[in-house]
Amino acid sequence: MPSYYEFKLPAKILSGDGALEHIPHELEALGSARPLLLSDEGLVKAGAVAAVEGAMAQGGGAFAAQFCRIPPDSSIQTVNEIAAFFREKNCDGLVAVGGGSVIDTAKGVGMVLAQGSGDLLQNTGCEVLGRGNHVPFIAVPTTSGTGSEATLVAVVANPEKHVKMEFISYHLLPDAAVLDVRMTASLPPRITASTGMDTLCHAIEAASCLQRNPVSDAFAEKAMGLVMQNLPAAVENGQNKAARLAMANASLLAGAAFSNSMVGLVHAIGHALGGVCRVAHGDAMTILLPAVMEFNLPVCGVRYGELLLALAGPEEYAATPAPDRAAAAIRAVEALRSRLHDACGLPATLRDTGRVEKSAFEAVARTALDDGAMIVNPRQASFEQVLAILEKVW
Amino acid sequence: MRVRFRHRLAAGAQRTVCRVVLFFLFRALNALSVRDSRVAAETALWPEQRVLGLEVPGGPALYISRRAERLARLKSAPTPDILIRFKSVRDAFYVFTGQMGVAAAYAQHRFTVRGNVSETMGFVRCVDLAEGYLFPPFWAKSILKELPEKQISSLRLYGAVLLGR
Repeated sequence: MPSYYEFKLPAKILSGDGALEHIPHELEALGSARPLLLSDEGLVKAGAVAAVEGAMAQGGGAFAAQFCRIPPDSSIQTVNEIAAFFREKNCDGLVAVGGGSVIDTAKGVGMVLAQGSGDLLQNTGCEVLGRGNHVPFIAVPTTSGTGSEATLVAVVANPEKHVKMEFISYHLLPDAAVLDVRMTASLPPRITASTGMDTLCHAIEAASCLQRNPVSDAFAEKAMGLVMQNLPAAVENGQNKAARLAMANASLLAGAAFSNSMVGLVHAIGHALGGVCRVAHGDAMTILLPAVMEFNLPVCGVRYGELLLALAGPEEYAATPAPDRAAAAIRAVEALRSRLHDACGLPATLRDTGRVEKSAFEAVARTALDDGAMIVNPRQASFEQVLAILEKVW
Repeated sequence: MRVRFRHRLAAGAQRTVCRVVLFFLFRALNALSVRDSRVAAETALWPEQRVLGLEVPGGPALYISRRAERLARLKSAPTPDILIRFKSVRDAFYVFTGQMGVAAAYAQHRFTVRGNVSETMGFVRCVDLAEGYLFPPFWAKSILKELPEKQISSLRLYGAVLLGR
């Protein structure tokens, strides 16, 4: 138990059948009459945006404007452009329909608007922002991975510096998170697997890093169990509604966990791989998670041993002698990754991604050392040790 | 009334301790910037005009900037580029008296960071290295994730700190 901890999850959770249709009611309750819809072009084509618009229409509402051109790795420029668009259209609320990039962009926009600034770069930092003129904000995740609908973090790329910048503030959290399986039903198996492994990574890092606390542990361990029991089913049959809803909840729970206990070395290196080599975030997590767990093993052995219960279930936990449980926990993660690799070709090495050259390792390691997630990793990692991890997963 | 007085007295004492520790911390970082290759490598990357602040609510504060190979302590900085500000005097006291490491203080939300979070990481590594020299090993071990290898003896560093070199 830490001598002091903080935990905050203000978002109202709307989960399950008909959740989308409750958006107009929530907007009304939040005092938004002219909401701006944010999304990306892929989701417009996939029909997710139309589904949300339909739900709005059913409730007698409509969006005042739409911005559906958010790129996969959103940038500071995109955030500033949308904030200006919001003001131009005289909007008074945000509804973000998308994955991590769209929701993080919406957080950035909300922050710029609440602070009355014109540039996101003026709002960098950790826990320094006041609430300002908070803009009502509803997040509708379309992947079950980032958990961004429940986190106080926004990751936005700074293309000039080739890094992903972290903005950390409790005031970034959405007012409501809408989990509806219609939003994830059409996700291809490969993305379902990759984002699901991201969820698992959030849960494991949240449950083992320096900032963990009893509440985040409870969220993280529940999320791990849901992923282990439902991710293969969601990958193998995307129409499995029970598995999809369980994964959406796992993602939110893991997001809430790491929002309040942060993530560690897997994310530090993963962010660097994304910034330097454009490796998809979920793929980076998939590749790095077991290797970093092994790296952290000397200081996390007992904790990983406890996590075996959530990762492998009570029978395997009980059948495994206590000294072997930590290694068994890592094996359980590797077994899941292997199963997903066989099912949909999820990459297991950096080479598999086709995006990383060994010559980029030094730049990746240097960037990783400066990532904010590094500070709460339970084991100190040096430049050479990060390089060794990259070599190992090459 | 008496309780309030006691609290004010305690806060005043803690501020004084923080002021003294900040004085020695700056001198230690400055000395290490030319005596420890890891600190030298970190500080060499800091842009010369960038000001990093470390503030305790109600004072004291430390504002540092790089000048060539050494560090300079500024008397004041109205808008430092990076500002680490403790949430209370008590939080600063925990860290500056070695009761808590910087990583634990971050994990326990005991300070805020204004500016680019990633740019504070190098400073945090330098403070960790300085603590590895300044505190006895058994103590440093309890607040650092890993005891850093010393490139000079702690006695030499104490000498440099006392002489301000």
